[in-house]
Amino acid sequence: MLAEVPALPLETAGKYVAGAYVVLFAIVLIYVAIMSVRLSRMQRELGELLELTEQHAGDDTEEAATP
Amino acid sequence: MTPSRRRVAGSLPTPGLRTLSVSAAVTMAAGLALVFFYAPLEAEQGFLQKIFYVHVPMAIVSLCGFVLGGLFGIQHLRTRDARWDLRSYVAIHMSLIFGVGTLITGSIWAKGSWGHWWVWNEPTLVSFLIVFLLYATYQPLRFALEDPERQARYASVFAVTAGAFVPMNFIAVRLSTSYLHPRVLGSTSNLPAPMAFTFLVCLVAMVLLYATLCSYELTAKRTRAQVQALRRRLAGEQQHVPQRRARSAAPVVAAPTTGGSS
Repeated sequence: MLAEVPALPLETAGKYVAGAYVVLFAIVLIYVAIMSVRLSRMQRELGELLELTEQHAGDDTEEAATP
Repeated sequence: MTPSRRRVAGSLPTPGLRTLSVSAAVTMAAGLALVFFYAPLEAEQGFLQKIFYVHVPMAIVSLCGFVLGGLFGIQHLRTRDARWDLRSYVAIHMSLIFGVGTLITGSIWAKGSWGHWWVWNEPTLVSFLIVFLLYATYQPLRFALEDPERQARYASVFAVTAGAFVPMNFIAVRLSTSYLHPRVLGSTSNLPAPMAFTFLVCLVAMVLLYATLCSYELTAKRTRAQVQALRRRLAGEQQHVPQRRARSAAPVVAAPTTGGSS
């Protein structure tokens, strides 16, 4: 089954093999890029909510301090 | 960045996710090294056969992921727990992505070895395309239903039915008479030891990659649910908190309660 010399020349087969492996890495890279966009959006939303919480806590303190 | 923001951002990656990511990256690197520096060249296809080590594990993981989605669907129907629906959704979603990869790498391999991007009289190719197209209707099905509970129930029924179709389809292809497509499952013992070892490492790497991406997706969805729950809670206290609602096919998961009254 095995032979030392490949049946197809390397220059012909190489581009197909490279293409197949590039597809795998492209899938992973695209996924990571999408995840990073989603993560940054979530981080921004969390930041907004935290600011609102801090603002809300500040308002409560002011109300409590008012005689 | 305020300290409170830093705490939230730093708490996102869990230790299990980190371990899974590192093991997936290490196994992928080991698999690639074995493919190009250890595994011998195959006599008939030569260097082109190296596609086998990425295409076949991707196809196996994709099909197993579809079946896994069905098993999670069964659990959801039994327990009515939304977390199983989320797992089923993520398993099928990720399997579809791997399915796209399988179809593209398969086409590249077909072009290299047969001279055509697609061969319609080859049962393995066509059956995989049928399974892929069947699951491609999963997301539109979820989009079509507005009620989250009905969406989850119908999606689980779909996942179970389609999940049962996958092994039946596989057996049907096995029973067919064409031997054009290279057979892998059940014939791994026929491979020379270096090829079989390389294939197994690549399969483990692909399983780990799938598990890592699923884990990331699950973590992202749960965190998103927590953010939405926090937004709803603040909206209850303050009228001017903007509500962000986007139409999504993703399951609605209840965020874990953190104590206190809502």
